[in-house]
Amino acid sequence: MKYTDRQVHVPLCSVSTTSSLVNKTGTWKSAQPLFIDRVSPCNQQCPAGEDITGYMYLVGQGRYEEAWRLIMEENPFPAIMGRVCFHTCEERCNRTEHDDAVSIHMVERFIGDYGLANSLRITVPGPERKERVAIVGAGPAGLTAAYHLRKMGNGVSIFDSNQKPGGMMRYGIPSYRLPKEVLDGEISRLDEMGVEFKIAVKVGKDVTWDSLDNEFEAVFMGIGAWEETSLGIEGLNKKGIYNALEFLEDINLGKEPKIGKRIAVIGGGNSAIDCARVSRRLGAEATIVYRRSEAEMPAHTEEIEMAREEGVRFLFLASPKAIYGEETVAGVKLEKMALGEMDDSGRRRPVPTGETFDIDCDGMITAIGEATRVGDLPPFTSHRGGVVEADRMGQTTHLRFFAGGDIIDIPHTVTHAIGSGKRAAVAIDRFLRGIENDKDSPDQFTWGESGTINLAWLKGTSLFCRRNPSLEVVDYTDMNPFYFDCLPGVKTKRIPVDERLKGFQEVSEPFSEEEVISEARRCFNCGSCTECGNCCIFCPENSIKRDPDGYGYVADMDFCKGCGICVNECPRGAMTMKLME
Amino acid sequence: MRKVLTGNQAVAYGAMLSDVQVVAAYPITPQTTIIEELADMQAEGLADLDYIRVESEHSAMAACIGASMGGVRTFTATCGQGLFLMHEMLHYATGARTPVVLANVNRAIAAPWSIWSDQTDSVSQRETGWIQLYCEGNQEVLDTTIMAFKIAESLRLPAMVILDAFFLSHTSEPIEIPDIEAVRDFLPPYDPGDLWLDPDNPRTFGSLCMPDTYMEFRWQIQRDMERAKQVIDEVQDDFGRVFGRNYRQVEGYRSDDADVVMVVSGTVASTGRDAIDFLRARGEGVGMVKIKTLRPFPRQELVAALRGKKKVAVIDRNFSPGATGVWAQEIRSALYELPEDERPIIYGYIAGLGGRDISIKTIEEIYQKTREADQPDDVDIWIGVNYV
Repeated sequence: MKYTDRQVHVPLCSVSTTSSLVNKTGTWKSAQPLFIDRVSPCNQQCPAGEDITGYMYLVGQGRYEEAWRLIMEENPFPAIMGRVCFHTCEERCNRTEHDDAVSIHMVERFIGDYGLANSLRITVPGPERKERVAIVGAGPAGLTAAYHLRKMGNGVSIFDSNQKPGGMMRYGIPSYRLPKEVLDGEISRLDEMGVEFKIAVKVGKDVTWDSLDNEFEAVFMGIGAWEETSLGIEGLNKKGIYNALEFLEDINLGKEPKIGKRIAVIGGGNSAIDCARVSRRLGAEATIVYRRSEAEMPAHTEEIEMAREEGVRFLFLASPKAIYGEETVAGVKLEKMALGEMDDSGRRRPVPTGETFDIDCDGMITAIGEATRVGDLPPFTSHRGGVVEADRMGQTTHLRFFAGGDIIDIPHTVTHAIGSGKRAAVAIDRFLRGIENDKDSPDQFTWGESGTINLAWLKGTSLFCRRNPSLEVVDYTDMNPFYFDCLPGVKTKRIPVDERLKGFQEVSEPFSEEEVISEARRCFNCGSCTECGNCCIFCPENSIKRDPDGYGYVADMDFCKGCGICVNECPRGAMTMKLME
Repeated sequence: MRKVLTGNQAVAYGAMLSDVQVVAAYPITPQTTIIEELADMQAEGLADLDYIRVESEHSAMAACIGASMGGVRTFTATCGQGLFLMHEMLHYATGARTPVVLANVNRAIAAPWSIWSDQTDSVSQRETGWIQLYCEGNQEVLDTTIMAFKIAESLRLPAMVILDAFFLSHTSEPIEIPDIEAVRDFLPPYDPGDLWLDPDNPRTFGSLCMPDTYMEFRWQIQRDMERAKQVIDEVQDDFGRVFGRNYRQVEGYRSDDADVVMVVSGTVASTGRDAIDFLRARGEGVGMVKIKTLRPFPRQELVAALRGKKKVAVIDRNFSPGATGVWAQEIRSALYELPEDERPIIYGYIAGLGGRDISIKTIEEIYQKTREADQPDDVDIWIGVNYV
């Protein structure tokens, strides 16, 4: 027989006669991959507990309403937040290690404005429970507490002594930073949700704290800090001298404060910047007088930058000693200061030098800090110099009374106030339902340094935190940056300075839809599975499959050999390896 | 359709016309423009293929084997150092019976570093079980690429299409491009039969084989390599009938009545045709035999072509240190079966290494040496070496 016609009794190449699935190669492994949802650094530090990575993901896909609803799970004021929050999230953005931080606040502003433009609503059923909660103070803390308590099924009444709700957001922030129609639009949604507004009612005068204590099952106090700290020098009653709060309130009420043409603003915080920038809009020259140097200013860098653009001058290392003038202020005597040792805030302390000099001015605004009016607090509240004593969930020593916003020991920002209002709402709801803070204590679900709660995480309904939620924060070294192109961020555009100084037009221009989408797509979605499929593609064993129950992927432990390639190739740190026992 | 194409473009057109489904490749000079052309074709929608980027030639071949096991038509290209890095996987492709087609642009081996042409890279893969098809011109490159798929798939053995660096890879010629529908008729889609990685019926391939069966698997490779001689002829005949261009494993050029026959491969054949014409015009009794296949080696055709000739001069653009040029080894071995009176004297020449030109003058010099010496001076003779 010819060689080439012969046969042998084996196939062309060796092949098993049965399915290789019987050979469970996964039993050899010593480590296994785990899909986890970790906290991104932006979420971790957000004082309002927003799921930023979540809504960036949705916005990137053009799912604006879903993004809006995701923010609304946590924060009732996205359009306000996108404008006034100092967005420390962007300072912590992992993208800063890569190229530029994602412009989170501009995306949030777009989504907030989208909600307003399309009249998006949160619908809630009528109160399911007979218990009612009184909220005192319709500022960001009180409104937020009211919003969340109402969503949780509680009846809510909100008291405020001013003519309109909004607190500092209305009376403290100039409209070039926060237009009034945005504020009104966002607050009006609470009205529609059945929150009872009792406006122009001052608790402690028109109604007593005791009557609230009797009529309501719980009370939230968010009365804010409305007393300007005094400079403590002679002559503050002269004409042309304002404190920041009354000055900004007059402006926000549409009154024209009687102030001169050359204004000295005393202080280095955001209120001082606001007062100086408003003065410029009133046609005056404005000089900020601060006792330390620029590096120690508590004001936000971008605010300082915009003030400079608008011609505000700065006089550092100077502290007022006396005020000149007969009836009206005519000048200030300043003492030169030097920088000394670090103080408790980690900034160098101003030290008097004894040397003085004078400046001329015909108007002066003091903006050196605000405190709670002690007389406005209920007599039974325990406080230290107006700072109310409360646990980290906001419960005071008078157990049915909770506190939040500027009256407790947190930074005085709108965002921190919103976070504290949400925290207290959770605490009040649990208090009313008789839930002890035991093993499901919200402590386990708080995000970040300010201990803010992410409600979706708490309820397990979040877009991302569904699989082995972990409070571990993802940093840049946990990412696989190979998968992310370097793309410069979109810069915020501001209207020209001469336009700004003509009035109170909003300074920052909104992003276009294209810009918003491009920013949202730059988000790494740190720590969250976006179903990119890399784990699945790179698995040499084909053991990673789509989760049949819905979102994400599962690893088939029968065949996963524990090589860890999937974890390595996960672009966003949403996987980890676990050693097996 | 006629187009002016480089050899590398001709390879890419051949693969594209063959409806190749997976390409996994790593760039290396002078192969790069092949895989760039294919990437462009894919990007422009001209070729419907999956392009796998890999980190090395070893991975490229591993990916090709995997893809071919998945039952699809698979292609890669490389040269020189890249082919050496693939070496382990070349053996595996044969054992796994994956009909991968590889275009190898002949490039000299380092060190010293060289990017120019010689055959040492491909002849070094003689024992890997790959069918090796050497090409003379760009038209042959294109046509051979198409035929290689048909040959490889019908035998389930991998095949290498081989072209000289720069002489073909980067030189343009007018090329007849076959109609794709005609190519599809000539080359039906790859049918892996029962032996493929079916996700719905996962099986283990290539697992450990005990001494009592290993030889049987290897024997089948040898049997099918022997069958390949016939298959290659059939495919070339078929191709000639459809497209009107005929190729042979062994092709004589004015050799029937010649006393001295030069045996050549690759681009030397095209220079050789002119050299033979030039020498014939001078009245010399010289002819040429061009060999297209190194593996399987066309022993019978070669014996038939050289039987009774006085002298045979083999030009090797390669060499095996410690032995001779590889073609010369093969030819000596094949002709040994002839009775002594019909067996020509074999003269082995080494020429053109590292891209050094083999011109008509070089061939003339080789012919003169062969004609003048009754016996070769040595087991092989190096042409053009500058001794001091």
